[in-house]
Amino acid sequence: MTYDEPRRPDPDALLAATASPGRGRLKVFLGMSPGVGKTYGMLRAARRRKAEGGDVVVGVVETHGRRDTQALLRDVEVMARKPISYRERTLLEFDLDAAIARKPALLLVDEYAHSNAPGSRHPKRWQDVEEILAAGIDVWTTLNVQHLESLVDVVWKITGVRQRETVPDGALSRADEIELIDITPAELRERMAEGKVYLGETAKVAAERFFKTENLTALRELALRRAAQTVDDQLIGAMRRAGVEGPWAAGERILVLIGPDAMAGSLVRAGRRLSDMMMDAPWTAAHVERPNLAPPSPAAAQRLRDAVKLAEQLGGATVTLTGDDLVESVLDYARRNNLTQIVVGKARSQRNPFRRHLITALLEETSGAAVHVITESADPQQAVEVPRRRADPRAWLGHLGALGAVVAAGGVAWLVDRYAESANLAMVFMLSVLVSGLAFGLWPAVTAATAAALTYNFFFLEPRLSFYIGHPADVFTFAVFFAVAMTTGWLTGRIRDQSRATSRRASAISAVLSATRRLSAAARAEDAATALAEQLAAATAGRAVVLTPVEGDIEIAAASPPLDALSPGDMAAARWAWEKGEPAGAGTGTLPNAGWTFRPLQGVKSRAGVVGVEPKALASEDGERFVAALLDQGAVALERAEFAAAAAGAEALRRSDRLRSALFNSISHDLRTPLSTVLGSATTLIDFGKSLAPKVRADLLQSIREEAERLNRYVGDLLDMTRLEGGALTTRREWVDVRDVLRAAVDRVKRRLQKRRIDRDYPTQLPMIMADGSLLEQALVNILENAIAYSPDGTSIEVAAYEDRGNVVISIEDEGRGIPTTELERVFERFRRMEEATDRGKGAGLGLAISKGFVEAMGGRIAAASPIHEGRGTRILISLPKETVTPGFML
Amino acid sequence: MSAHKPRILVIDDEPQIHRFLGPALDAAGYEPVRADTAADGLREIARKPPDVVVLDLGLPDMDGKQALEKARAFYKGPIIILSARDRETEKIDALDMGADDYVEKPFGVGELLARIRAALRHKLQDVGAEPIVTAGDLTIDLIKRLVTRSGVPIRVSPREYDLLAQLVGGGGKVVTHRQLLTAVWGPAHEQDVQYLRVFVGQLRQKIEKDPAQPVLILTEPGVGYRWMG
Repeated sequence: MTYDEPRRPDPDALLAATASPGRGRLKVFLGMSPGVGKTYGMLRAARRRKAEGGDVVVGVVETHGRRDTQALLRDVEVMARKPISYRERTLLEFDLDAAIARKPALLLVDEYAHSNAPGSRHPKRWQDVEEILAAGIDVWTTLNVQHLESLVDVVWKITGVRQRETVPDGALSRADEIELIDITPAELRERMAEGKVYLGETAKVAAERFFKTENLTALRELALRRAAQTVDDQLIGAMRRAGVEGPWAAGERILVLIGPDAMAGSLVRAGRRLSDMMMDAPWTAAHVERPNLAPPSPAAAQRLRDAVKLAEQLGGATVTLTGDDLVESVLDYARRNNLTQIVVGKARSQRNPFRRHLITALLEETSGAAVHVITESADPQQAVEVPRRRADPRAWLGHLGALGAVVAAGGVAWLVDRYAESANLAMVFMLSVLVSGLAFGLWPAVTAATAAALTYNFFFLEPRLSFYIGHPADVFTFAVFFAVAMTTGWLTGRIRDQSRATSRRASAISAVLSATRRLSAAARAEDAATALAEQLAAATAGRAVVLTPVEGDIEIAAASPPLDALSPGDMAAARWAWEKGEPAGAGTGTLPNAGWTFRPLQGVKSRAGVVGVEPKALASEDGERFVAALLDQGAVALERAEFAAAAAGAEALRRSDRLRSALFNSISHDLRTPLSTVLGSATTLIDFGKSLAPKVRADLLQSIREEAERLNRYVGDLLDMTRLEGGALTTRREWVDVRDVLRAAVDRVKRRLQKRRIDRDYPTQLPMIMADGSLLEQALVNILENAIAYSPDGTSIEVAAYEDRGNVVISIEDEGRGIPTTELERVFERFRRMEEATDRGKGAGLGLAISKGFVEAMGGRIAAASPIHEGRGTRILISLPKETVTPGFML
Repeated sequence: MSAHKPRILVIDDEPQIHRFLGPALDAAGYEPVRADTAADGLREIARKPPDVVVLDLGLPDMDGKQALEKARAFYKGPIIILSARDRETEKIDALDMGADDYVEKPFGVGELLARIRAALRHKLQDVGAEPIVTAGDLTIDLIKRLVTRSGVPIRVSPREYDLLAQLVGGGGKVVTHRQLLTAVWGPAHEQDVQYLRVFVGQLRQKIEKDPAQPVLILTEPGVGYRWMG
């Protein structure tokens, strides 16, 4: 079946190829060492390109005072450098933003491996180059092979110099083109002798230390091999894209086992080199996390994280395996993933008893896989770099405590021995070992066991006060005691350590759970942001800040403890994390000088924001995991809140649509009905005026008047509503006697009362209030008209005013049918009216809404109660705040 | 005209409408009957069928169309709808469902009385069946299918004649687009209002004295046409 089928192109290769359009092309001028003429070669090529009409700009070039090179810079556009002040010095650095703004077709950026001055956006120049390429600008750069990350160990072995300025191998692999600038070592030394490479004294010192012929030869080989390999890679890439079955070693898979020790970095580099030798075979750096062991010290954990980061930089995958049994976990993983190459390290000093065990087990149990054992190399510099594992001060206290427990046991044993002849004193000591194990852990328990055995022997086994044991039977007793003490100590210590680990994990889980609960309860984005910031701050015992997008930029949405603004540098890191969706700030590759570490909040559909935490929060693996879990939850919560807000916005729009149609209906009905009556009555009078009885004529005229007034009231209502809606309502504040206002309002509705009575109930003393008299009067008229419209003839309407707890309250009660409880809350809504009105069509359903608007504009409150007696009646209460000052004119 | 005063039943929930319609109808020689709800109105129709029913579409107790449907079940006489302009679809639906005419609120009494007169005349025509319709010097013989002006035949196509016959058959009340299209072109074309535009235009060219100022076939915008001959 396969023989005829054309081979499909490798999707990964196609993806890599499609990623290219829009991105600038990178060309690297690679050399074996300084002085081979990379910059010179690059500039000459650039001049040729310029002569052909290319838009070539020099972003940054280090001439090192070489005259030939300087001459080449003439007539070429060279960008100004950007001054960056650092520790009272001003460094002139490449101006990344200006370069991107200039957007030439081709930009020259010398010294790919350069480390930027602290405070720059990226710590390394190759990261600047990444950004320029992403901006669609072609870049030419120069690199010495010694600066390649995976070759750091090798170069150090050759030259004895450990390179600090490194470039990840991936940064070179991404080059579309590599030009090798090659001269022979002899030629280079000659050029140096002529002073073409370094100037003055430095030349001699450098020559002696670095530019030895054998060093140069080795470096040259490295450079040649590297260039050849890149050619290979490009060939393979081209073949894969074309779907040609290649000569690559299919199926090779490399596993690098790393631990929290000094070798981790070397092992990772070894893995990468092995992968290079096997045509870029996929490789994975794995480390086994063992829950049954105490967590590694912070320094060890840091080493492990560094190694993991290095592996990722070098293009490897990383995985964390979890299991109590190291060997079993590794073998299981190797079997499941068809690993063919396993790289392990062997420490020179056998400090770790598991390591040898692992190598032996691997050799015995793997089948079909090569096991590479890398031995630890003497690396004085590395030893200085990595501080020795410091003893945990608390561990020392544990041992002291264990000894204290043994001493206490000794005292008790002495007392028991004095007063009870045949007691089994060994048990007392055993208790101290148990206590030590439970209280201080594994190793203090072992200390306690040893101390207890010796103390027991010395003080209580005959002959006493001597380590010599008299009775042969006692030798046996002692041996058993020692063995039991050790076992007990070891067991209890382990149980204690494991339970500690379990409870630590449980507390971390419960912290995540409680955070999740809070986040999922947050309905609004602000709540979610606040919850996220507070939970992060609480869980990491530090500060946390959440930034969310606001009109294209990001702003602080919440911070714990509260924070008004971030420093410009921090803000730049936060924006970077937001725009690129990658971590930035302290502890990352971008703007590491920031005071915070920023992580993007990646939601399901979009980026919900950026979170900043203090770098120390991410220092431990638990912290890292916890923060990551919280960020996921936070992103989802924020996103959900955004959706909810959008839904609420849509709902508000729907409601305003409903309102508009209610307004439309209202105008259509409430304007037209009175108009119909006016028009109809008037035309009746015109057409039949003479034949109508005088009484009928009078009634028609009366009807015209009433309806015209009704129309006027309705137009007034609409205007009032518009004033309220449009925010154009201005309230005058003047001293007002509520009784006067009530009187005026009752006068205005008097004509429409017909057979209804008004009962007044005002006290003789009532404080004045600060209010807008005309607004209050209109509010009261609306309520009174409502009361008239909804109560039958012959009933009474009670109007009362009184003082209540610092407020002046106005109460208007009718004896109508009342309002159903379900409708009570809504009577103040616009266009709401009761269909069972006895006198239908009196109002448009605006009156009470206007009253509410007016009263609230004056700082008062309005409420409705119904039914008030015997299942009938409605009471509207208006409460206005009483002024605490007495009006001036009364003093 | 018979000796008794025609009874006009007004079904409207607005008391103010009754307040002027009562005296106006009385003064115009009719006997007004008042009903405030649809239920009252239907009961009155059943008790003693009036000569004309004036029905407000916006009644509180029943949808106007529903009331119309119920009334049509046992009342064949003319029904005039009172409606607001923004309820256009409701108005057309009511006409299609068997209402005879409509008056838009707000209205002058003269307008309503004219509609009532037209409805009563139509009612009489239905009974007596007038085969020859005249309008000025124009004569339409519905039996011979002949249109003449001052005795001179006017050539109309069969479709034009069918359309004219439908309009004339309306007897002064509005005939909706749908009614015309269904009757002349068939139910499949009840949406093709543009046919009417064309054919009514052609008819006006042939029978109107000034086709730009039609007085015989009037357009009721959005609703239909009315024969005013």
